[in-house]
Amino acid sequence: MRTKFDKKEITLWEVSVLEKTVYIRLRHRLQIRPNEKILLKDIAQVIADDDIYEKLCALPLYKVTEHDRNIVIIDVMKVIRAITQIFSNSNLEVQSIGPAQSIVEVVTKKQKVSFPLFLLVWLLLFIGAALAIMNFHEDVSMQAVQLRIYTLITGEVDRKPLIFQIPYSIGLGLGMIIFFNHVFKKRLNEEPSPLEVEMFNYQLDLDNYVALKENKESMKYLDDH
Amino acid sequence: MMTINVVLVMIIGFAGGLAVGSGFVAFLAVLGIIPRLTQLTKTMKMIHHYEAAVVMGALAGALATLWDPVLQLTPLLLIPLGLASGIFIGMLAAALTEVLNVFPILAKRIGVDGKIAILLMAFVFGKVFGSLFQWIYFVNK
Repeated sequence: MRTKFDKKEITLWEVSVLEKTVYIRLRHRLQIRPNEKILLKDIAQVIADDDIYEKLCALPLYKVTEHDRNIVIIDVMKVIRAITQIFSNSNLEVQSIGPAQSIVEVVTKKQKVSFPLFLLVWLLLFIGAALAIMNFHEDVSMQAVQLRIYTLITGEVDRKPLIFQIPYSIGLGLGMIIFFNHVFKKRLNEEPSPLEVEMFNYQLDLDNYVALKENKESMKYLDDH
Repeated sequence: MMTINVVLVMIIGFAGGLAVGSGFVAFLAVLGIIPRLTQLTKTMKMIHHYEAAVVMGALAGALATLWDPVLQLTPLLLIPLGLASGIFIGMLAAALTEVLNVFPILAKRIGVDGKIAILLMAFVFGKVFGSLFQWIYFVNK
């Protein structure tokens, strides 16, 4: 009696082992041309058995239309739904690892930098920086301190201690370059500069915003307003 | 009465020094210049000595302003001194978070992600030019 019961359980167990597992990991961000289809292999890394892998990779998920502007969010639930619909008769388990949505950027054409605009911004930054440092010097009484340092070291009085002030001005630029770790394109060191980290953080913040805001599934509101 | 006055002044002076000193250190800590310098030179282990350098520098500055010594040394000493203070102020200006926050937005707006180093150089040259202009020409006016 008892052995019979054991046998039955074992057969049941073997059926459930036959279930296949597909692992997908959505990419954080991808670029696509307008009017193109987004396939599963574009949007995610896939691990699956060889017999279904090709079919999975070519699975179309979304067609970019004119109606979409430049950002489309694909939620992982949409991807899983698409996979389970195609493979509804076979026993397929989808495991998602990583981000819950993928940000698709629709790139119409290569953005060209307009040179006059760039020059304008460059000049704006140049003049603004010059004005800001002069204001800073006035604000902290830099000149008075410099005159006192000159008198402290040499014992003489000079209204314009240029021997201190010119090295100081050069050092000002040098200090900024050291901090940013950049001399034009040249790097002083392998590590990312604070500005690059800041750029990355800013992009991440923007991505976070669109991932939640453009994704209709991520928030639910009452309809009574 | 006299003793009470002296003690009171000492207490006020000490308290003021405490507040300013801790504020100074907090300011440096927020800007993150010291971590940045240790990161660039890979001398994380020496950070305690850097702390000591900052404290001693602040003390030397306090002594120099209050005591007004006159050292009668060669003016050539002012060149490294000026360069060092310039580098420090330059790092200070670069480390201000406002600067770090504005650049990514600006670069995105005009779409020059790759050329951000050139924009940065505008900033650097602007600072150097503004400073030179002020000391050589502007202060005479």
